[in-house]
Amino acid sequence: MTNYFPWLTIVVVFPIAAGSFIFLFPHRGNKVIRWYSICICLIDLLLTTYAFCYHFRLDDPLIQLTENYKWIHFFDFYWRLGIDGLSIGPILLTGFITTLATLAAQPVTREYRLFYFLMLAMYSGQIGPFSSRDILLFFIMWELELIPVYLLLSIWGGKKRLYSATKFILYTAGASIFLLMGILGIGLYGSNEPTLNFETLTNQSYPVALEIIFYTAFLLAFAVKSPIIPFHTWLPDTHGEAHYSTCMLLAGILLKMGAYGLVRINMEFFSHAHSIFCPWLMILGSIQIIYAASTSFGQRNLKKRIAYSSVSHMGFIIIGIGSISDTGLNGAILQIISHGFIGAALFFLAGTSYDRLRLLYLDEMGGMAIPMPKIFTIFTILSMASLALPGMSGFVAELIVFWGIITSQKYLFMMKILMTFGTAIGMILTPIYLLSILRQMFYGYKFFNTPNSYFFDSGPRELFISISILIPVIGIGIYPDFIFSFSVDKVEAILSNF
Amino acid sequence: MEYTHQSSWIIPFIPLPVPILIGVGLLLFPTATKNLRRMWAFPSILLLMIVMIFSIDLSIHQIENNSIYQYVWSWTINNDLSLEFGYLIDSLTSIMSILITTVGILVLIYSDSYMSHDQGYLRFFTYLSIFNTSMLGLVTSSNLIQVYIFWELVGMCSYLLIGFWFTRPIAANACQKAFVTNRVGDFGLLLGILGFYWITGSLEFRDLFQIFNNLIYKNEVNLFFVTLCALLLFCGSVAKSAQFPLHVWLPDAMEGPTPISALIHAATMVAAGIFLVARLLPLFIVIPPLMSGIALIGIITVVLGATLAIAQKDIKKNLAYSTMSQLGYMMLALGMGSYRAALFHLITHAYSKALLFLGSGSIIHSMEAIVGYSPDKSQNMVLMGGLRKHAPITKTAFLIGTLSLCGIPPFACFWSKDEILNDSWLYSPIFAIIACSTAGLTAFYMFRIYLLVFEGYLNVHFQNFNGKKNSSFYSISLWGKEEKKKLKKKIHLLALLTMNNNERTSFFRKRTHSHRINRNGKSIKRLFLDSNHFGTKNIPFFYPHESDNTMLFSMLVLVLFTFFVGSVGISFSQEGIDLDILSKLLIPSIDLLHQNSKNSVDWHEFFTNATFSVNIAFFGIFIASFFYKPVFSSLQNLNLFNLFQKSVPKKRIADKIINILYDWSYNRGYIDDFFEVSLIASVRKLAKFNYFFDRQVIDGIPNGVGISSFFIGESIKYVGGGRISSYIFFFVLIFLVICYYIFI
Repeated sequence: MTNYFPWLTIVVVFPIAAGSFIFLFPHRGNKVIRWYSICICLIDLLLTTYAFCYHFRLDDPLIQLTENYKWIHFFDFYWRLGIDGLSIGPILLTGFITTLATLAAQPVTREYRLFYFLMLAMYSGQIGPFSSRDILLFFIMWELELIPVYLLLSIWGGKKRLYSATKFILYTAGASIFLLMGILGIGLYGSNEPTLNFETLTNQSYPVALEIIFYTAFLLAFAVKSPIIPFHTWLPDTHGEAHYSTCMLLAGILLKMGAYGLVRINMEFFSHAHSIFCPWLMILGSIQIIYAASTSFGQRNLKKRIAYSSVSHMGFIIIGIGSISDTGLNGAILQIISHGFIGAALFFLAGTSYDRLRLLYLDEMGGMAIPMPKIFTIFTILSMASLALPGMSGFVAELIVFWGIITSQKYLFMMKILMTFGTAIGMILTPIYLLSILRQMFYGYKFFNTPNSYFFDSGPRELFISISILIPVIGIGIYPDFIFSFSVDKVEAILSNF
Repeated sequence: MEYTHQSSWIIPFIPLPVPILIGVGLLLFPTATKNLRRMWAFPSILLLMIVMIFSIDLSIHQIENNSIYQYVWSWTINNDLSLEFGYLIDSLTSIMSILITTVGILVLIYSDSYMSHDQGYLRFFTYLSIFNTSMLGLVTSSNLIQVYIFWELVGMCSYLLIGFWFTRPIAANACQKAFVTNRVGDFGLLLGILGFYWITGSLEFRDLFQIFNNLIYKNEVNLFFVTLCALLLFCGSVAKSAQFPLHVWLPDAMEGPTPISALIHAATMVAAGIFLVARLLPLFIVIPPLMSGIALIGIITVVLGATLAIAQKDIKKNLAYSTMSQLGYMMLALGMGSYRAALFHLITHAYSKALLFLGSGSIIHSMEAIVGYSPDKSQNMVLMGGLRKHAPITKTAFLIGTLSLCGIPPFACFWSKDEILNDSWLYSPIFAIIACSTAGLTAFYMFRIYLLVFEGYLNVHFQNFNGKKNSSFYSISLWGKEEKKKLKKKIHLLALLTMNNNERTSFFRKRTHSHRINRNGKSIKRLFLDSNHFGTKNIPFFYPHESDNTMLFSMLVLVLFTFFVGSVGISFSQEGIDLDILSKLLIPSIDLLHQNSKNSVDWHEFFTNATFSVNIAFFGIFIASFFYKPVFSSLQNLNLFNLFQKSVPKKRIADKIINILYDWSYNRGYIDDFFEVSLIASVRKLAKFNYFFDRQVIDGIPNGVGISSFFIGESIKYVGGGRISSYIFFFVLIFLVICYYIFI
């Protein structure tokens, strides 16, 4: 690239920098701040899109738009950014979902300055890990995004917000210890000078035992974030309590960071260890799909039920990563994007209906289809998308993950049969809980004691958000090549190591 | 024309603009769209008409030159995986698309009137157009993935339309049940597709068949695995076509509006399973165990559907079980390998059953005005009766549909059913005997419906005073379960009537009362007054009315179809040349049974077989009229009935058997209950257990760690708090402990 304009630095730093000006604004109600932050989000999204459109070549599997500035001299720490086919999708997703989440957060009136600042800080903190090319920078960015989530949870959450915020921070901080240990381990291995650059680390090789130890450390860190089953319990609590705009960020982007880390670090750095671990990952993934789905319909709380559904859908990503095949990994990446949209939209709708009903539990609801037909329609469409109806993005992703399982050359015949079978059972369980959400919330008939004006159907803002999520969901479902064109070459490059 | 074929990929997408336009219209100009709602029926009908002309054109070409057109283009660019889209126009496709479009158009016309007062008129037409799109996509698709995609979309439309009246809790349960049951089938279908991709490496139908046959020929495949995959693939058809273990959704699906039951749950979507098996028959035919499995499932469904149909009181559920039974016939025919008979029956049954459903819709529509809008009342055959006088055209149409389904000669179903029965004699005598006796059963339950609905007098009016007039009370219980109990106490009949211990009857009566009070409080007084002198006949009762012309029009067109559609399959062969259209369309298709009989139909054999099956049908009709003839209409028949009853007590055992059969049938063969107890309860238990496990074990560990660290921290804080007294206390305590040890 001859172009030296620091696109990525601007994209990463701009939201948090512009966001800190919020505190300088005069106290004139939250309208100004609201539109200011939405404008920043939009500008950043447009910048990202522009940079990717004109300065990124899709046919090149190498890192592009690289930037390299020395930051701390004595241990060789660089501000090193760059993107490739793997990270372009999540970055665009981040921009899109965060902008919509900011728009969705408009009803927030309490401490709105801090709230919007934190949203913008999240923006930077989320794009950071996806675009950093230095492993210590990756870690710093990874940690940076925890603080806003913690604050967003503990200030704007529901009744049990302190419990869930503490749980969240303990889980993720506990995981970060392993991440840091792993980073220090691979950084300091074999030389006195720390090597933190992704490129050099990719080509490094380790003794098998050490590689397995490093792999486990990173796996633990990402397993908490992603989440993989024994470490998932923070997620329903967090999602159940958080404000829905926070939920959109959590479900849409934060969970995807774990999956991204698994591909970026575990697959790229430790290919031998990955091929040892991947059968276990596959088994874990399909257990997770069934386990989370069957736990989901034991839930009474609407948001927790959707949270378990995201845990269940993350199982597909893990299976895709575990099936060391071209198709499977592509499917996993597509599922990252697709669930980013669908999960965020479901949480958004759950939140908006909570705003109207003030009821948390599904068995208290019912008969809401008549007062709010638009929410009903959109909720139905998105549930269908989530249960992998063809024509929507979820179906393509899951189908291709299935394809990845059966075309993978690594596994034995019986293993493949069992994996496919187990994963497909999830396909039966998913509609049960999603459709019973629909049935319990919307179907039936109920007299509302509250005055009618209390219920109103979704307004133009909410409709806009839902439709703008719906368009990519259907678009990817009909033309999945759009996402594949980002990742195909990179995936081939990654898999050539195996 | 080559051009027609090249552009026929557009067939499924022609009806699509309507839902898109309605959606956009509702979003942008809600009031205008709602005001112009009746307008939206026209474009949907028009577009479907275009598709119909298109597909008729295609099938004419198919008859002339029997060729398959297939154009394929790629969907994904991934190297390993090439998902290709294409379309396949062969005889099967053209038959199915004509069927879908003709029934679709008539149902659209019908529902314009049927749904005209419904709030969800636009929604209904949107769903219906999406359904037509996906159904046409299903029949034109050229590979298995495409079939799967449209298969799911069709299932979604069915879900939405069953739950169309979403305020009814029953409908909400029914639509979820339908979707989940179908999803079980889709699970099998997907696994089967993946398995066959694994074996052959292709998804295109023709490549798949070729590769697979080669593999079988060279004996290179694991036969067990192949059978498993084919079985899984068949699982999809079992769910969609409501075959034996997964049929539970179909009767419940009747919660949807009646036009939907006609189009989706009788004519087209449930036939998709048959279509899939027919499409994959070249694949299945090389696996003989699977073929016999298909035939077995078919025959079980035939019997089960027919036995369950004999005691339903809901008219639509009754028809649904009959649909199930007829689908079983088709599946049986496919399992026997007589492709032609199965498709022929598919066509004839679709038209007859659509006619019956539209007729029942017309009845329901007219009954609703009298008994109320609950499906428990308006579809309840107990409350009907005597509609012959009030809705004569509907009666004629319904009668023709009934006769056709019973297999009475000039009508459509006779020809196809006869063919299946003939083939079944060639296949296996046991199956043939079962199939033939079920044909008699079919005649029985169809005429039961007809007699209960159209003969006699309108029972709703009897409901109001059946506490006083014994005859009517008797009549109500006549068809029902409680009748048996009553018969034993026949002598005390009069005393019993005043006792009013019959729950069900009193239940009906109460409901009708309350309903009438709700509906028109004024006339209720008169009714009660009049009820005291029954027989004066000049009472201003509310009588059901004939439906309006739009509805009658589509029913009459279907009557024409029912008359003449049989002719496509009747062979007028004289000198060994087949002239019937269906055979011409299906020349290269598979026929296991007639390989050596060289196509020549022996007229003598045909006549003997036909006479036999018609006799069975008449026997069924006779039995039905014996039981359900309007004996109750007035007191004069009671003597006759008592005469009949007097001879009965000797045959207590026969009575008991009938009772058991009745209970079996009334409780839907206990299959729903079985699923309820075994599957749903265990899933619920699993969910509870998982939730418990998640809360207590997985979450318990971090919580426990948190709590214990809290206690440790607190105690350390207390210890290290800097209070001199506590230091001294611990000091002394430790000193004492040490002293204790030293001294002992």
